[in-house]
Amino acid sequence: MLVALVATVQIRSEAEVQRSLVGIDTTSLAFLIDDLHRANDSLLAEAADLQLRQATLRSGNVGAADQVLTDEANHLSAVEGLVPVHGPGVVIVIDAAGLKALDLQDALNNLATGGAEAMAVNDRRVVTVLPVEQTSGGAAIGGVVVAPPWTITTIGDANRLAEVASVMTKQLRADRRVRQATYRVEADVAIQSVVSVRPFVYAIAS
Amino acid sequence: MSRQKVLGVVVVAAVAVATGFVVAGQVKAQLLTPSNQVARYQALVRSVQDLEATNAESRRQIASLRAQIDALETEAAGRSAATRALRSQVADLRAHAGLSAVHGPGIEVALANGAPGPDTTGQARYLLNYQDVQDVVNLLFAQGAEAVAVNGRRITPLTAYSGSAGQVIVDQGPPLSSPIKVSAIGDRNRMLAAIDDPSALPDIRARQVQFQLHVTYAGSPDIALPAYDSSLRIPHVNKS
Repeated sequence: MLVALVATVQIRSEAEVQRSLVGIDTTSLAFLIDDLHRANDSLLAEAADLQLRQATLRSGNVGAADQVLTDEANHLSAVEGLVPVHGPGVVIVIDAAGLKALDLQDALNNLATGGAEAMAVNDRRVVTVLPVEQTSGGAAIGGVVVAPPWTITTIGDANRLAEVASVMTKQLRADRRVRQATYRVEADVAIQSVVSVRPFVYAIAS
Repeated sequence: MSRQKVLGVVVVAAVAVATGFVVAGQVKAQLLTPSNQVARYQALVRSVQDLEATNAESRRQIASLRAQIDALETEAAGRSAATRALRSQVADLRAHAGLSAVHGPGIEVALANGAPGPDTTGQARYLLNYQDVQDVVNLLFAQGAEAVAVNGRRITPLTAYSGSAGQVIVDQGPPLSSPIKVSAIGDRNRMLAAIDDPSALPDIRARQVQFQLHVTYAGSPDIALPAYDSSLRIPHVNKS
């Protein structure tokens, strides 16, 4: 009976491990925890910015609202790629034959996940609403073909971006299609290209 | 009882005790490993749950602060024509950045995990991944979508996707998993035609056949999308 009890406990323990590991392993969980820490820090910083903005508006100072709105307009214009911008960042050059739009899309997404706050490829501004697509002429951003070599210009935390660029270029150099994949960190990267606003036709403010 | 019999009983008892210790030691070693694994895994899961709760609370706070700021700006706009003009400009920028709730005609694409099956790649390709979501969102934007949300999380000009093992992370949000719904406002006929095209979304279509990945879509006369509730900070970017 004791033997049976011990065996049952053991089988239940193993089953619990197996059941709890369904879908996600401990390594993925550890990465998830890291991502969530970073995300939560970012959310806290945003909340702090908003509280400051709220306090300015509540101050009732003459021109406070105009200043808040002007700052917000400048900020959102940069977010949406409507104005030229500059700042610290990393410039990556990829020269390859046969890379597809998906490869470029993955590279840009990796950089965005790694903290890129503004990006351009061959002086073509990158924002989510202008997707990367495969066309008969090659990879295109918002319908405009960007022929290799690709010069990807990014602005953001240069240290974080350099880490991402280092891993990315190393992986690319292992690809036989890639002739060159290099990156350089710059104290001030300029992105001159802009996108134009597409007025909404279907979406209505709720 | 003869001396030989007593000796025999003692030897059998000693062997039984020794075997008992060996077996007990072995059982203990086998039991400890799984229970340690369970404890470690449960600790990690608790950390994820705590962080997700903090994440949800921060996003609630951000949404609430944005609503309060909007009310204060409306009040200020009532006092000055210049402020009113600025506010109108910012409202338009917010709408395009995904910071305003919107509604309109569009389509909804439902994605769900398939069934495990033989896979030479060694990857769990029957599970949805972030590239699937990104591919669908890109396809819809390429067809003129004006606003897109993934399980109610708005896509912004800065959106980035990540995740692993059936988990999809959009920006600073908590992980999403199957089923996932991508909703888009725009020209629904154009978006439906694009998604109907057999050459569109080749990887998803191949896994639909191989692993029965679920993909369904339908147009709708009115879809409501909430405002973005996360961070759009770009602290390293300066306007030229």
